[in-house]
Amino acid sequence: MSTALSSAAVPVRRRFKIGAESRGVKLLLPALLLLGGFFLIPVLTLLLRSVMEPAPGLQNYVELLGSQTYVRVFFNTFMVAGVVTLITLLIGFPTAWLLAVLPKRWSQLMFAVLLLSMWTNLLARTYAWMVLLQQTGLINRVLMAIGVIDEPLALVNNLVGVTIGMTYIMLPFLVMPLHATLRAIDPSTLRAAAICGASRWQALRLVLLPLALPGIASGALMVFVMSLGYYVTPALLGGTNYMMLAELIAQLVQSLLNWGLAGAAAFVLLVVTLGLYAVQLRYLGGGRTGFGGR
Amino acid sequence: MLLDFDRLGAWRWGLIGVGTVVMLFLLLPIVFIAALSFGDSQWLVFPPPGWTLQWYQQLLTDPVWIDSLLTSAKVAVIVTVLSVALGLLASLGLARSTFFGKSALQAFFLTPMVLPVVVLAVALYAFFLKLGLTGTLTGFVIGHLIIALPFSIITIGNSLQSFDPALEDAAMICGAGPIEVKWRVTLPAIRLGLFAAAVFSFLISWDEVVLSIFMASPTLQTLPVLIWSTLRQDLTPVIAAASTLLVALTIVLMLLVSLLKRGTRS
Repeated sequence: MSTALSSAAVPVRRRFKIGAESRGVKLLLPALLLLGGFFLIPVLTLLLRSVMEPAPGLQNYVELLGSQTYVRVFFNTFMVAGVVTLITLLIGFPTAWLLAVLPKRWSQLMFAVLLLSMWTNLLARTYAWMVLLQQTGLINRVLMAIGVIDEPLALVNNLVGVTIGMTYIMLPFLVMPLHATLRAIDPSTLRAAAICGASRWQALRLVLLPLALPGIASGALMVFVMSLGYYVTPALLGGTNYMMLAELIAQLVQSLLNWGLAGAAAFVLLVVTLGLYAVQLRYLGGGRTGFGGR
Repeated sequence: MLLDFDRLGAWRWGLIGVGTVVMLFLLLPIVFIAALSFGDSQWLVFPPPGWTLQWYQQLLTDPVWIDSLLTSAKVAVIVTVLSVALGLLASLGLARSTFFGKSALQAFFLTPMVLPVVVLAVALYAFFLKLGLTGTLTGFVIGHLIIALPFSIITIGNSLQSFDPALEDAAMICGAGPIEVKWRVTLPAIRLGLFAAAVFSFLISWDEVVLSIFMASPTLQTLPVLIWSTLRQDLTPVIAAASTLLVALTIVLMLLVSLLKRGTRS
């Protein structure tokens, strides 16, 4: 009976597959046309303008990398992204660790909080921090009430505000994948370390951290790259004096109509982003979450 | 020992301490905004001196807010339908065929997800200025669709992967035509993936700010664009009310997804 079935199945399967193959390519057409026409062409045109406007040549790149103002923007961008990545790692690793060992009932609750924070509208979350961090905001008032400070700290319209807001937004993006990495580690490796006489610190340093390293590296890279391209949160919490790269691109287009320079800045951001993404795919096995900063 | 909750010893309390602080850090701003949206202080004093619904009233009686809310909903619904349809076609095409350059094409489909949105926004803005599509519903839909589509393709592609194509063969042996097979066997089998793709696409479009800022005109704007331009002027509690409604919508959608997941597991 099984042979009868399989011998009948082979030609059908082959017939089906041949049909599916030619149809398969046709099925890809709508998505291909959309992304080709409204994604690839516009982006390439923008990049092309960086070497064509106002005159052919590399002068936009010379201006971008030669001017004090723009170098400052690059410095701000990379510094904020670096600091945010570091803080996110420092508080995200213990959180992911706790999430991996907690009894299910509690870890589900933590997951719900992470998801809620992640899926809540970005502007709503940024607004919350604008209100919390302002001169007369809750944070300053509490710090003054308990006597830590005498005068309100400047927590918004500078890079401190951007860093706090960005850390808040990035945290779930690190904790979720890192938790999956920690979950996948076999607990018996740590039991073995204990039997061999390793102290807790030794087990952490020599077993847990090395085993978790791919997850740590890939999560950190993702947070770093996403932070580089963020627009909304830095623009609202950083004010006009502390600009980051994405905001610079928007400003160049909206206020200065300098498309050539905007194209050059976009190219730099694109190269860094796609380059680090390639590193992620090549060495760390790629993440499923989106990279693109909002 | 380090991955065993009961044998973490004193470290357990360290982890719980950090975890609790992080959870409060994530939760408090959201709770804080919800509380302020009911407070009667124009300057967002916390705790508020009294309670009121006036910000909600202002929000829901102002035609500008209502218009933007309707535009957002309209765009999000159209994007959801198109994103699921195109995503389904594309992931069927990718799952069942082999051709030269398939993995490159797959990577191309996912690039809008990797690219910083501001680059796409500026590029599309220039393109749409030439085509006269800025400030139109079509402009919003195309922009949102491009960033929603990769999520659709991934989600539907994942559920197609766990679907055994032998079931399609079986249906064909039983005499079903190719379209009937897709309609009565494949689609019902991957309906969870389709639903998840729809929820993701809706939320992505509904929350999208950066692209929308560039697509918007004074007469046509989505809710996030209006929140954005209001926020650049002042921190009115009306925004707190709008934010709280958005959080409520997120919670409803999350509950819907988890209920559906639970429903299929049992």
